[in-house]
Amino acid sequence: MAGRRVALKAIDWLAFAERVPPNQRGMFNALKTRSDAIAAKLASLPEAPAAIDWSFYRGAVAKAGMVDEFEKKFKALQIPEPVDTQTSAINAQEAEADKSATAYIEGSKARIAEYEKQLEKFHNMIPFDQMTIEDLNDTFPETKLDKVKHPYWPHKPIAEL
Amino acid sequence: MLSRLVFVSANALKGSGPLGAGLVQASRSLHTSSQNLAPVPPLPEKGGKVRHGIFPEELFQLLYPKTGVTGPYMLGTGLLIYMLSKEIYVINHETFAALSIGSVIVYGVKKFGPSVAAFADKLNEEKVAKAQEVKDAALASLTQAVEQEKKEQWRAEGRTLLFDAKKNNVAMLLETNYRERLHMVTNEVKRRLDYQIALQDLHRRMEQEHMINWVEKSVIGSITPQQEKESIAKCISDLKVLAKSTKATV
Repeated sequence: MAGRRVALKAIDWLAFAERVPPNQRGMFNALKTRSDAIAAKLASLPEAPAAIDWSFYRGAVAKAGMVDEFEKKFKALQIPEPVDTQTSAINAQEAEADKSATAYIEGSKARIAEYEKQLEKFHNMIPFDQMTIEDLNDTFPETKLDKVKHPYWPHKPIAEL
Repeated sequence: MLSRLVFVSANALKGSGPLGAGLVQASRSLHTSSQNLAPVPPLPEKGGKVRHGIFPEELFQLLYPKTGVTGPYMLGTGLLIYMLSKEIYVINHETFAALSIGSVIVYGVKKFGPSVAAFADKLNEEKVAKAQEVKDAALASLTQAVEQEKKEQWRAEGRTLLFDAKKNNVAMLLETNYRERLHMVTNEVKRRLDYQIALQDLHRRMEQEHMINWVEKSVIGSITPQQEKESIAKCISDLKVLAKSTKATV
């Protein structure tokens, strides 16, 4: 009855909890309660069952050979380990999650690059009180007055003044 | 304006030695190099220094080495007297008109100039402040957006924890199941052995009780009526003896 022990990784629930985004908190809490319940159940069971006192039984039971037979069969018994059906599914989930996470991180990096570019533009901008109107139109293209569409001053619809 | 340029270039030609702060203006050399500066350097905040409202400071600095402090004044006085006496400038009605209008203009500017300038400056300030606000808001939101993205990336990195937890759960469940099986086997075996022992005990007890009952019955059955009468008589005589002895003691 040697127990094979797949080493349980110690999980830092605090660090895990920090990383959970707020919209997934419910799922996280459910997972935690489930895990705690399982761990509690595991802890409540002693690792090895209580040993049977064969000598006492040998003296007590009158039927000849019964105890010896039981003892022999008991010692020879191999309890099959429960089959692990879920780990492969979990690994598949993990691979998929990795893929989607890397894709998300790529997108995130692209977004960060964009933001950085705009930040650069703002940092390298000349101060407003040294700008001319042309400089302003260069830096903020949306301020450029469309002199073709509205040829007469103020070059924009009156409502937008 | 051109006079100022003349003075500035004159100073440059003389290999201008340091003549104090008065010389150092924002001397912009316009288009002296083939490349134009971009962005165009900003216009100076204040115009060139002038004395008495019209005469540029450079004139005084120019004449200072040769004629000292009073030089330009003497030059001015001399020029004026020359023009009046030689009638290069003729005094007529227009002179007085010019003088009165000039004095009113000067008075007006001196009195209301600063407030008007402040008002115009305020208008400009507001425009600049609005633009600045926009820029600040944009900067703040961009930096925050970058931070958010980085935070989300950090969160995504924590996904291994989730799968570790899941695998742990699976392992724990398997282990629990295995232990339960072990315990079940042991308990079952023990129960069967205990049952055998209990069975044996029951047998023994039943045999004992049966035997006792049988012995009792046979003993009682073996008491003949004659023996019974004799034992009853003996009991009565014993009781009488006892009664006598107790009566005596009481």
